[in-house]
Amino acid sequence: MNRLATRAVFVLFLACAVSVPAARAQSLLFDYVGFDYEDPNLNPAMFGAVGDGYRGLGEVGSLFGPLTSDQTNFQYTYYFDGLTATARTTIGPFIIIDYTNTGTLTIYEDSRSTGTAADYGTNPPSALAPATFVDGTAILVGNLTNFQYIFNTSTNTGSFEADFEAVGGTQIGNFPLNQRKGWTFAGTSGNSVTVPTGYAHQVDGQTFLNPPTLNRTGTWGGIKARYR
Amino acid sequence: MKAAGILLSVVLLAGAVVSPALSGPIVDWDPAYFWEPGATPISSLPGGQLKIVGTVSAFGGPLTFLNANMPAKEYTFYVYGLTSTGTVPIVPFYVTAYTGGTIEIYEDSTPDAVFDPFPPNANVPSTFIDGTLILSGNMSNFNTQTNTITLHQTGNAEGDIAWTGGSLIALVGNGVGGTCPAIFTGGLTWSPDVLIPGYLFRHDGKIDHECPTPNTPSTWGRIKTLYR
Repeated sequence: MNRLATRAVFVLFLACAVSVPAARAQSLLFDYVGFDYEDPNLNPAMFGAVGDGYRGLGEVGSLFGPLTSDQTNFQYTYYFDGLTATARTTIGPFIIIDYTNTGTLTIYEDSRSTGTAADYGTNPPSALAPATFVDGTAILVGNLTNFQYIFNTSTNTGSFEADFEAVGGTQIGNFPLNQRKGWTFAGTSGNSVTVPTGYAHQVDGQTFLNPPTLNRTGTWGGIKARYR
Repeated sequence: MKAAGILLSVVLLAGAVVSPALSGPIVDWDPAYFWEPGATPISSLPGGQLKIVGTVSAFGGPLTFLNANMPAKEYTFYVYGLTSTGTVPIVPFYVTAYTGGTIEIYEDSTPDAVFDPFPPNANVPSTFIDGTLILSGNMSNFNTQTNTITLHQTGNAEGDIAWTGGSLIALVGNGVGGTCPAIFTGGLTWSPDVLIPGYLFRHDGKIDHECPTPNTPSTWGRIKTLYR
């Protein structure tokens, strides 16, 4: 009984966990440029106040496999949603804002001829934003975890990063089950005159896909033989 | 003549307050790589020379007519002459300011740019500085911000650009005989997963066209007074 249980545990372990991370490089999945803002913004005088919602939107200028795209006929936009600041730490001029809940990063595909062109407008949320960035087809929905925003109030610049996992969208089927995780990061700045009124920072970022986790092929006989 | 002056002011002010539907960068790249002999992501010695090469992925604003994705051409840039003033630690953050710097953007009809490891070498920066110089400028206020706390080893870099030359300099003019300022900005990562050996940082960034320049609020009375 004891031996049988041990075998069962090993078989289960092998079936689920023989995947080993590959030593291959991570690949660029998409590149995005836009602006961010807070909604709700509980303390307008303080970016990243606990309870503030972080949102970002903009254009996705480049998409790479396994995503497919047609920039000539479609506009690709992105939207960060569902992130709430849960901790804010100050170190000198730097602030560290942590978002411990799971957010989403969604890419939309909208026809350039029959769709609505993305328009930042001013003072989001507004009739234009995020509405003109979230119309069309959601081709990729990704969950964001461990989202962390670092900002230097002295230089008025910063960055953010998060773990990313593809979980939905019309192109989710393009992603092998063993290659849906990755990470995203961006530089942010409040120094440009191109930041529309009501937005906090400009954002330029990328999302990478981890290499596929590899599985060793084997037969039940081979697995059994190992533990006899 | 006085009327013409007032009219010009009105036109300039009217133009300045318009918020474009999409405030995209004039140059976006993916990727760029930094190198600086003797430096680490959290340490740069005074006098260190930082250099950057990158491939342009998109143009916007007055450069929209350029197609960065046409196989017959490539657009690249090279930044050199950035001299470190030494890293200032604000543990766990590290800020390095640089003085000087020149940026050059090239259009090449013989695409050949390659990020060979351990620059400088036979192909870096040489394959990034062949072709026609379309824009060049002086950099100032350049700085990098890194840390030891981010999971994916991310930070940011930013600096100002004053355009000085190149075949397309007329396109970045401010309409009154000078050029519009620009900002070089974006995110940095030193994650080994996406870095090429011999480089210090991978950079996802852009150049923002800072036109119109910020305006000082005024009244019609004050504007009229200027031309009396």
